[in-house]
Amino acid sequence: MTERIEKLTELTLSGQMFVDPVKTEFDRTDLFLDKTEREVKRLCEFILNQEPKLTEYSAMTGFFRCDGSVVGDAFNRPGHKETAALMSAFYLKPIENLSTCEWQHATADYHRVLNIGLEGIIGIAEESMKTHKSPEETAFLRGEIKVMRTLIAWAHKCSARALALSEKTENAEYRKNLERLSAALLHVPEHKPRDFYEAVLTVYLCYSADPDSIGTPDRYLLPFYRDGIKNGTLTREKAKEYLQELFLMLQAKTRPDQNIFTRGGESHFCIGGYLPDGKDGFNELSALIVESLLELPTYAPQITLRWTKKLKHEVFRFMMDCERRDPMKRIAFTNDEKRIQCYTEICGFPYERAVAYTTVGCNEPAFEGAISGSNSHGNILHCVETLFHRKADETKKVESYEEFYKLFKKELSEDLERIFDYDNKYNEVRARDVNYLSVPFFKDCLEHAKSMTQGGGNYAIASPELIGITNVIDSLCVVKQFVFEEKTVGMEELIDALQKNWVGYEDLRQRILKTACFFGNDDDLSNGVAKNLYHTFYELLNGKKNLFGYPWLVGDLLGYNEHHKWFGEYTKATPDGRAAGDMLKFGIGQSEGKDREGLTALLNAVAGADPTGIACGNTVTNISLDEALIKNDANFEKTVDLFETYFQNGGVHFQLNYVSREELLAAKITPENYKNLRVRVSGFSDYFVRLTESLQDDIIERTGHEG
Amino acid sequence: MTATVFDIQRGSFVDGPGIRTTVFFKGCNLRCRWCHNPESQLAKKELLFYKNNCKGCGKCREVCPHRLLSCDLCGRCALFCPADARRLCGEEMPIGKIFSVVAKDRAYYEKSGGGVTVSGGECMLQIDALCELLKMCKEDGISTAVDTAGDVPFSAFEKILPYTDLFLYDVKAITEKLHLAGTGVSNVRILENLVKLSGRADIIVRVPVIGGFNDTEEEIGKIADFLAPLRTRSVECLPYHRLGEHKYAALGRACESFRIPSQEEMAHLSALLVR
Repeated sequence: MTERIEKLTELTLSGQMFVDPVKTEFDRTDLFLDKTEREVKRLCEFILNQEPKLTEYSAMTGFFRCDGSVVGDAFNRPGHKETAALMSAFYLKPIENLSTCEWQHATADYHRVLNIGLEGIIGIAEESMKTHKSPEETAFLRGEIKVMRTLIAWAHKCSARALALSEKTENAEYRKNLERLSAALLHVPEHKPRDFYEAVLTVYLCYSADPDSIGTPDRYLLPFYRDGIKNGTLTREKAKEYLQELFLMLQAKTRPDQNIFTRGGESHFCIGGYLPDGKDGFNELSALIVESLLELPTYAPQITLRWTKKLKHEVFRFMMDCERRDPMKRIAFTNDEKRIQCYTEICGFPYERAVAYTTVGCNEPAFEGAISGSNSHGNILHCVETLFHRKADETKKVESYEEFYKLFKKELSEDLERIFDYDNKYNEVRARDVNYLSVPFFKDCLEHAKSMTQGGGNYAIASPELIGITNVIDSLCVVKQFVFEEKTVGMEELIDALQKNWVGYEDLRQRILKTACFFGNDDDLSNGVAKNLYHTFYELLNGKKNLFGYPWLVGDLLGYNEHHKWFGEYTKATPDGRAAGDMLKFGIGQSEGKDREGLTALLNAVAGADPTGIACGNTVTNISLDEALIKNDANFEKTVDLFETYFQNGGVHFQLNYVSREELLAAKITPENYKNLRVRVSGFSDYFVRLTESLQDDIIERTGHEG
Repeated sequence: MTATVFDIQRGSFVDGPGIRTTVFFKGCNLRCRWCHNPESQLAKKELLFYKNNCKGCGKCREVCPHRLLSCDLCGRCALFCPADARRLCGEEMPIGKIFSVVAKDRAYYEKSGGGVTVSGGECMLQIDALCELLKMCKEDGISTAVDTAGDVPFSAFEKILPYTDLFLYDVKAITEKLHLAGTGVSNVRILENLVKLSGRADIIVRVPVIGGFNDTEEEIGKIADFLAPLRTRSVECLPYHRLGEHKYAALGRACESFRIPSQEEMAHLSALLVR
């Protein structure tokens, strides 16, 4: 790491690179203007009133943040009044113990701005005006052109500030950097970048318009990187320095006193994966990106490797080795074979759009230049509860597992309808807001003269996250095994036990907990039940469309918030041995001590559960490993083989924890001694000692798999 | 045909090359004083009671047909104990069932160069069951390994040789008296069998290094001398550890403690062995 980057890292981690919005006063008479005109005018005034963050160590600048006084970016949604009302009513507040509203992501298309610059995108808006002539469309497109011209003017303001600072800078190298920065900002983002530095700078500045994922930088930056290396104007070390400055901004964008500053989420992006020509995309820049990140002692950004069958074993090994060496645990892995199959076959996206996905937020998939039009959580165990409590009389009458499953499917279908209906409703409210700042960086919106919040873009996925999938599988297994196969428990007895919350049925509960074929043990019964459930999701969702007109997917990610606890609190006892009020399980990569057969069994069960790929929505799989396993080199090689096989078998995703149960228990008792203990919880990483006690217990319950 | 098994461990990284499934046969004819699997020694089923986990709820007494006054190993106490303080150890398993578990991880074996390892106890005491399991695996293309202490008639080795890709062969001591004192049996047959096996099979020799027993340069040197003319793939040193102590208590047996060799000692003795 260069001394300059070291200085910037210090400033970043101490919070000094955080960009505070400058409060802007607006002319009150602009209230008389038309809404679109007023919102655009205020946004533009706000942008030009901001001050760039610059230090003598800077070689890049231009990132700004919006406050709530203007309609800002499409990720944080400041100033989006309808979204604010929605979040105030439904965020973290379950409805019917069935659905909670969550955040929404949107991923910019950096390819376009790097290929044609904002001037080219202005051209697209002007062209669109020829065919979109309604007053609303005209006002919208005119507003977008104004926003883009403002971003160019903002770059020029940043340029002037950089020049002014350069004049005061004594260190010759730093002065030169600032002069170069000043010159570059007169060229980008207005025009196509002329070299790798300007390309990274373009991303740095334009990130303000959608501070979410930076997408697939090893693709859009590659031509600039290769040109620079080829013509001798760029070295690998210099490229690393620029990437590191970009990554530091991804850390600095968060206010340092917010929890999220040290969590590292909301900064995911991808490397590798299938290219539009069907080849594997991991290249020399992908490796440099990882290397650049590993040198930084930051929490963000986080990288996901997209694995393909064509990826060389050595590359996968290299990435696993980076993962084990990374004390900040910023690397995760996902399987393109399964995901691309889902996005082309189930979603019906063209191959070239399907392969352009990246990861956002807590590691959920998102498509380049499109909105991830979802993020609600659903309580999937609710339908099982219904069968054993509210509708127990019907359940008592069933005579075979097939009949029982038919009833279950009916309830599941009704619950899914409502979960998906709520998801659409949340999005309908969000769609009342019109966004101006992010639109130029999204595909198809200018062409359709419509904000991406309103579905102006194409290929918007929606994937409600279903919490409690493992509880459902395990409950179905218990019914199948004990009631219908072994016939050792009568349906009436089971219903009575659940309605009495196991009181007086402790022996039955113990027998279930100790001898049931639970998910994760790779036995035929639980594997079959799991596969059937995922196939049922596929069947029930087949042909149904989300608000934006694209097929639904499902996921199992939890994110930052304790939906599993809230849903569990009001869910009565269920056949899997769960008592009323116990939290639900999230994800399927852990079964809290119920996986008795070891890691290969768990991985087989997870990899084989969903052959159709319907769960390739917001799905992450957390795997807990004994740290000793990966420290030893011989064992590490086996671990690489283990996870490569898991992907070959159809696993969608994994991220690793390396902690022992003893360490976690000790950390709970004396948190002061374990301040640096990092663990990962469904999609983001955090310090263990900071988690709520229930999440701590949850992690402790997971098996620490040994070799 | 069945085998008495006390554990099947999938995804093992430590019982031979690659990722393996280790099948532990119950019953052993050695009584190594440092044994970390004391529940493996008797061929019959046993009940383990982990006193520390017991919450004194009395459930075991309530469900036991004999009110805990005698035990016919029915396992009800273990099944209903809410604190997992009781465990029934040992199960008669049909070979086909064991094979079906082993076969589930085929993809991992193929990727990593792993396979099945049959361990114990002394798995070769159940030679017919062992042979059938190895044969089924071999015929199904799964690589096989046998972890043995070697104190069985050589005919047993002859029987499984066609179906065994690798032997993990324990050598504890060369000095017969020492071996007898540490394991309760002579090592004459063990060493003879190893000589006979050499050249006919792929062998990894494993030497447990037990503080105060065989951790001398002299004894390790003797092992090295003995192994020098033999054809083996490699020799591995395994340091003594105390992870099995709680199981002695759970079986109601006294546990002997030995000194754990340091990393430096292990490195020094390993160097003597692989000279």
